Amino acid sequence: MTATAAGDDLSLTFAALADPTRRTILARLAAGEATVGQLAEPFSLTQQAVSKHIKVLERAGLITRTQVAQSRPCRLEPARFDTAAAWIGRQRKTWEDRYDRLDEHLAALAAGPGEATEPRGEAK
Amino acid sequence: MTGPAEFTYRRVHRASRELLFDCLTQPGHLTRFWGPAGTSTPIDAITVDLRPGGVFATTMVSDDDGSSYAMRAVYVEVRRPEKLAWIEPGPGGGMTTTITLTELGEGRTEVVTRLANAAAMLASPEGRKGFLTSLDRFGGYVAALTGPA
Repeated sequence: MTATAAGDDLSLTFAALADPTRRTILARLAAGEATVGQLAEPFSLTQQAVSKHIKVLERAGLITRTQVAQSRPCRLEPARFDTAAAWIGRQRKTWEDRYDRLDEHLAALAAGPGEATEPRGEAK
Repeated sequence: MTGPAEFTYRRVHRASRELLFDCLTQPGHLTRFWGPAGTSTPIDAITVDLRPGGVFATTMVSDDDGSSYAMRAVYVEVRRPEKLAWIEPGPGGGMTTTITLTELGEGRTEVVTRLANAAAMLASPEGRKGFLTSLDRFGGYVAALTGPA
């Protein structure tokens, strides 16, 4: 099922987002394209270390690297963030619905002591 | 441990923590509300083995086209009536759902549902150990379900 593949992609996305350094890199890229060297500047990290983070972000689909220029600047891939945001929206809807129905269930329990298998018009 | 990979949902219900906890953990209750609007959750497709490492599984069936969505998880924490947590193992760490129940008085209970990517949990050695244990048990469960190849 495609839902599983989408779920796997999301796991990658969220795993990539779980790291504070990578979130800072993404925040920097939100302001515009940057090279690995430019991204490494604010951190006390080597370019290799930053490159590793970049690879994780790339694999998660959160950023892409331009092929044309030699410096291969990184840029954000907004579509992936939209997917993550859509996932959060779906979760919100699922739990909202679920707890709405739980409230109805609780009301039915309170109305008919010891019995909640059938919706009933009247309480005893 | 907050980050964009998390989602928190707060709700206040007019019921005791004990009743809410039971609703969230007993198939007879779950079948009444677990599936969101437009779906149902058949009771015979609900598995609850209420202990850390125990399986929590449900299948939600769409009322429209009968398509189904199966959820397979393993309980990580079971503390009636205040806390319940499970993990859905998956690539990239899987996801944890943690439900915390807090008494507000006058028969009201606040239920906080938190979804977090388990990758974040793996930062600590205890988290890693717990997760791997869950994964092992989950693997065993799946193997038992699918039978020998």
